[in-house]
Amino acid sequence: MQFGFFAKVGFLALDFFFVLFLLVAARQVYAMNAIISGSGNPYVVKVSVLVLLVIAVSLFLTALVIL
Amino acid sequence: MPDIFIAEPKAETPAPLIAPKSLISAITETPENPVHLFSAFKKDPDGVDFKDKEGEEKIILFIRRTFISNFRWLFFGSLLLILPLFLPLFLRFFPNPFPILSNMFYLFLGIFYYLVVATYWFINFIGWYFNIALVTDKRVIDINFSNLVYKDVAATKMNLVQDVSFSQIGAIRTFFDYGDVLVQTAGNLDNFIFESAPQPENIVHIVEDLIGKHNELFS
Repeated sequence: MQFGFFAKVGFLALDFFFVLFLLVAARQVYAMNAIISGSGNPYVVKVSVLVLLVIAVSLFLTALVIL
Repeated sequence: MPDIFIAEPKAETPAPLIAPKSLISAITETPENPVHLFSAFKKDPDGVDFKDKEGEEKIILFIRRTFISNFRWLFFGSLLLILPLFLPLFLRFFPNPFPILSNMFYLFLGIFYYLVVATYWFINFIGWYFNIALVTDKRVIDINFSNLVYKDVAATKMNLVQDVSFSQIGAIRTFFDYGDVLVQTAGNLDNFIFESAPQPENIVHIVEDLIGKHNELFS
């Protein structure tokens, strides 16, 4: 029982820090796009990081409710 | 006799507004020589803009590391993708190592794992994507971005560039035509190294031409 509880809390904490990491990544992507633009397809890069962020936040919230 | 139907007088329809071709092309203009998502080398690129760019400054070269240099993380990332396929083999020897955890928990763990793998790909990709060297008619600019937290933008004026050379060591570099380009600057200024740049010989020729033009202009 206790191990299961700690595993779930550990997973939630891990996911939370992962969301924070993705927030930093998103911020850096936007900052770099401000430094240089037109170097490829900025929308693909911006949308990719946002999709990753949305999935991570959804996973965190779903895990918080279901687990 | 009363009229049953009276046709309404035809209103004069105004002639459709047709914009001149030059205006249409100006609105829907797409760059003739754009930099694509996976471009590593582009001469006279269109549509590229950077911070502190002077009005009449023209970008001559756009350089990234050659895409082949991404092989290591692409390979490792692919291994991580297929790694869970070997999980049944592992479970044959260690059936259900944590029986207390529910199947739902394992499902969440699986999704999280693939999210981490996707992020690994993405972080490595932007590490390549934002590592750019630009050669303009006035300056050489080196934009470094690595490990997500390190970014450095260095620039030097073309008249401070003293020499440019390249090294292409190894069979793979020769085969795929990429190498390191060294741009030496005057005095105590830092030199620029464009690592794993595609077509290094071409880059050296172009920068040499630009140095020559500048020297002619200012001598």
